[in-house]
Amino acid sequence: MRLSTSALCIAALSVTGCGLDSRRTPAGAEGQEPHIVLQTSLPAGGTGAHIDAAATAPEDGQWIRPAKDFASSRFSGLKEINTSNVASLKPAWTFPTGVKRGQEAAPIVVGHMMYVVTPYPNLLYAFDLSKPGASVKWMYNPKPLTSSQGEACCDVVNRGASYADGKIIYATLDNNVVAVDADNGKEVWRTRVGDINKGETMTIAPLIVKDRVIVGNSGGEMGVRGWLKGLDLKTGAVKWTALTTGPDSVVLIGPSFKPFYEKDQGTDLGVQTWPGTTWQIGGGGVWGWISYDPSLDLIFYGTSNPGPWNPEQRPGDNKWTSTFFARRPETGEAIWAYQMNPHDLHDYDGVNESILLDIPWKGSRRGILVHPDRNGYMYALDRTTGEVVYANPYVHITSSDSVNLKTGELALNPTKEPKLGKTVRDVCPAAPGGKDWQPSSFSPRTGLMYVPHQNLCMDEQPTAVSYISGTPYVGMDVRMKPGIGGNRGFLTAWNPVTGRPVWRIAEPFPVWSGTLATAGDVVFYGTMEGWFKAVDARTGALLWKYKTTSGIIGQPVAYRGPDGKEYIAVLSGVGGWSGAIVAGGLDPRDSSAALGFVGVMRDLPTVTPKGGTLYVFSLR
Amino acid sequence: MRRAMRAIAMMWAVLACAACSLHNAQNALDAAGPQSSRIAGLWWLMLPIASVVWVIVVAVMLWGAARKRSPREAVESRGGSDVLVRDDARDRRMTRIVAAGVIVTAMTLFLMLIADFRVGQALTMAPSTKVVPIKILGHQFWWEVQYPDSVPNKTVITANEIHIPVGTPVVMELSSLDVIHSFWVPSLTGKKDLLPGYTRSLWFRADTPGVYRGQCAEFCGLEHAKMGILVIAQKQQDFDAWRAQQLDTAATPSDSLAQHGKNVFLGTTCVMCHTIGGTAAGATTGPDLTHLASRQTIAAGTLQNTDANLYAWISDPQRIKPGVLMPATKLDPRDMQALVAYLRHLK
Amino acid sequence: MCSRFADRALRAGLVVLAVAALAACPRERRTFHDSPPAASPAAESAKVVRSDSGVSRQGPYGENAYALNQGKQLFAAFNCVGCHSHGGGGMGPPLMDSAWIYGFEPANIYATIANGRPNGMPSFKNRITPQQTWELVAYVRAMSGQGSKAARTNRSDEMEVRSAEAQTTTEKPVLVAPPPTVTPPAQEHP
Repeated sequence: MRLSTSALCIAALSVTGCGLDSRRTPAGAEGQEPHIVLQTSLPAGGTGAHIDAAATAPEDGQWIRPAKDFASSRFSGLKEINTSNVASLKPAWTFPTGVKRGQEAAPIVVGHMMYVVTPYPNLLYAFDLSKPGASVKWMYNPKPLTSSQGEACCDVVNRGASYADGKIIYATLDNNVVAVDADNGKEVWRTRVGDINKGETMTIAPLIVKDRVIVGNSGGEMGVRGWLKGLDLKTGAVKWTALTTGPDSVVLIGPSFKPFYEKDQGTDLGVQTWPGTTWQIGGGGVWGWISYDPSLDLIFYGTSNPGPWNPEQRPGDNKWTSTFFARRPETGEAIWAYQMNPHDLHDYDGVNESILLDIPWKGSRRGILVHPDRNGYMYALDRTTGEVVYANPYVHITSSDSVNLKTGELALNPTKEPKLGKTVRDVCPAAPGGKDWQPSSFSPRTGLMYVPHQNLCMDEQPTAVSYISGTPYVGMDVRMKPGIGGNRGFLTAWNPVTGRPVWRIAEPFPVWSGTLATAGDVVFYGTMEGWFKAVDARTGALLWKYKTTSGIIGQPVAYRGPDGKEYIAVLSGVGGWSGAIVAGGLDPRDSSAALGFVGVMRDLPTVTPKGGTLYVFSLR
Repeated sequence: MRRAMRAIAMMWAVLACAACSLHNAQNALDAAGPQSSRIAGLWWLMLPIASVVWVIVVAVMLWGAARKRSPREAVESRGGSDVLVRDDARDRRMTRIVAAGVIVTAMTLFLMLIADFRVGQALTMAPSTKVVPIKILGHQFWWEVQYPDSVPNKTVITANEIHIPVGTPVVMELSSLDVIHSFWVPSLTGKKDLLPGYTRSLWFRADTPGVYRGQCAEFCGLEHAKMGILVIAQKQQDFDAWRAQQLDTAATPSDSLAQHGKNVFLGTTCVMCHTIGGTAAGATTGPDLTHLASRQTIAAGTLQNTDANLYAWISDPQRIKPGVLMPATKLDPRDMQALVAYLRHLK
Repeated sequence: MCSRFADRALRAGLVVLAVAALAACPRERRTFHDSPPAASPAAESAKVVRSDSGVSRQGPYGENAYALNQGKQLFAAFNCVGCHSHGGGGMGPPLMDSAWIYGFEPANIYATIANGRPNGMPSFKNRITPQQTWELVAYVRAMSGQGSKAARTNRSDEMEVRSAEAQTTTEKPVLVAPPPTVTPPAQEHP
């Protein structure tokens, strides 16, 4: 079966006329057509990949955490809405949140209640789904400090709340983790875990594992020192803090720490790989996604870019930034680590999601996590050891040549290394990477991952930069541009077994929303123009689309309402880094605005206004 | 003859050095390493040749101007008619003189070319032995000095003062962050320009311990003349000790005055431009001050590093170097004393 | 002969006039350590510095190319670029457009830098000298085409990301409302 798949893949490659170095360019990356089929048929049983059984649960119609399950599949087992009837999907109800900034959160559904967190000022709305029109039952306002808005690098977003133990728990922009009684909206506890005066903010959605609430900070552009903290679910007390940089003792590296590759082995690398005391302001925040494998009892997450962006001010590998970690949720103790981007040159954070899968591998099954990194490679890492099973490009890459599977090293392209006073041109992918925070989904029915991402390249020039507490610490002028083909975004269906794309849909703007896969074999995603789309999970054929009032950068979810019907919910409201030009009213004449993103999004204000509306769809 | 030449050379050297007031160590003929001795050797080769040539040329010119012209052709009366007579022998003699002049000139120039080429080659040929790599970044109007290391955490960053071990070649990577500067330590090496956006390299070696003053040798703005640098050549063990000491973070002040000075530093204009390792000050616009007290001078070789000079410099740098990018910091005398006490503390 | 003399006299007269005209052009003053006119301690407080209190509508340095250029360098050195980019904005609002949240008069901008603003602008009082602040004010105004065109900077040291300040068209500055404080809909109780 795998043989025929690769044969088809090769056929598709030759059809699309892939003339560039195939190591670096995935098939279809240079296509102009909106919908590119790279592999004509998919085996009926799917690719053979499954969600890690221990990390998922039978469908209960709820959506209690942004990633749906511990494996981060974002797969709903509901199948009322399917490929044959999705075309008649209609809005069931909508709700304006009153906050017109980038809406990145996933609505959370617990029982007959739905909870939505807005961007700053981080209001939490609770909707009673059993009431007509799903009326607001209560609203909680954590009243974050207004000054925190000035420390958030890329719009004042929030990526959502999580539910556990009768509490809705989320992080506010001004570094408070709050637990709110899911029933009455009363604050149960509140813990301040960071300091905005040092440039720290929080946008992460917490992951709650057993009695630990696991959160991390943002601020890789502000010279913060990244950390992941485990808080007590009952009291909110900080039980452990794992810093990203510094001596082993504070990174929580102990005798159990066994990195697979020699390049990641050594003592106090979090200090030794930095000049002077720069590790104290070296970035490496944790603002992306955390997965959890209950059978191994490990959490997996990546750390952000090192600071400043200007690499000449931090010679060395800059550990443990842009690194993937496996830790024990109880204690935070590190088990393994793999640094994707040592001495990161282009703001390639490692924070993107990891989906925990079991795939057929050399005659048996292998437990892997699949992580689409900003650097353009889709990494499959062994969950037990951190070994790279494969690392294949999913976008056009010029910044590096390949990943060496023996040594784990990324072979950089020396001509794309930024040097003070020089402009480096056509660095692909651009600073937001092949893919940014927007999470992928996985359907066990097709065995495919649905990866929303962008197709951007950039010119860049480093500048000398000072660390001034509470101000940005970047030191890079960036000018982004569309990648090959001219379209700025893709939805790619990825075969996690072969490590190859199956089909992809070209979108004019970056696909900055998450995706949702359902058992009805429908994949949902939103576009920055405001379209909410449903496509066939097997072929990528467009089945339905609906124009919302603003661009969509949120995470769609599916749930079973109290009436037993299936609903699809998503927040509309453009913003985030890519949509800052609209959300922040930025000036399109300056290509470097919003860390270089404005130059490639000049036309966005002509297609979408600001917004902040919750849309819930159903069949009528 | 040689003594006369030496006297002339010394006269030139004295004239050239008349401007050196702080350190009388800026002398290309006072060579302290192989690079500068080669350059000095070239000078000692070229000076007598050029002097002899100059004397000959002037003498011939004077002789030519003074002598009575005899016509090259003459009209003679022969048998009633005028006949033009050419002095062929004289023509041949003149041709020989000119030819000899051309050959001697060409040979002399060729000799100097070979000597110059050999010196140039020796200057640029990278040393094959163990070297000390140093990165120099030019700023208006100071020098940033970095000692990279294979262990990044052992990178030393300082300013305006380069410590080097005696007998080990130093390989410099030079670049600039604003305008073109030129690195010149006459006693050790020739000039090398620092160009924004380019990295150029230079190597030299000091054979005698000592302090050698250098100077920006390319006009770079108002305070170009006060953009000095000191090269301190030390015995290997002294250099190693210095390097190890520079790796430390800044000591936490023990007395209350210096402690107050630290707060002053972190709360005023200082923190916007300077770094002090181990504190919240991490700006790179001005020189790194982590070990300021261990340096001999302040303001890029302009003032001796004393309390009074520090006080005067911080109070109003524009009086000492008008146009320098450091602003005057207006503090009350107690805060200023505390600040100076703190800076003295940064050994 | 007579006409030749007249011609010469005319030429000489023109030269004298030209020299006199040149002498009338004052050389731009570069202020290194004098305090700018309105930066006396009393006037530094934002409430006191107004456009009618002796500071011209341009601020002390609105027409001084050297000070404007210093302001541009400080804008990068003090990380203003990190939030406001090269005028287009990012974490902070754009400065090259005509919309001003906290006022466009030099005194307003001075107050913004010195005292900060509630929605994220930090205060730089004591950390940036009054003279530097005024230089920044002049440059911030130049970004949106305010101030003397002749004095505005015409090139950048960094990669080209926008047209030069001297080329920016001057638009009439307008005041816009600060970001709205969110008033959530009234809570509904079951």
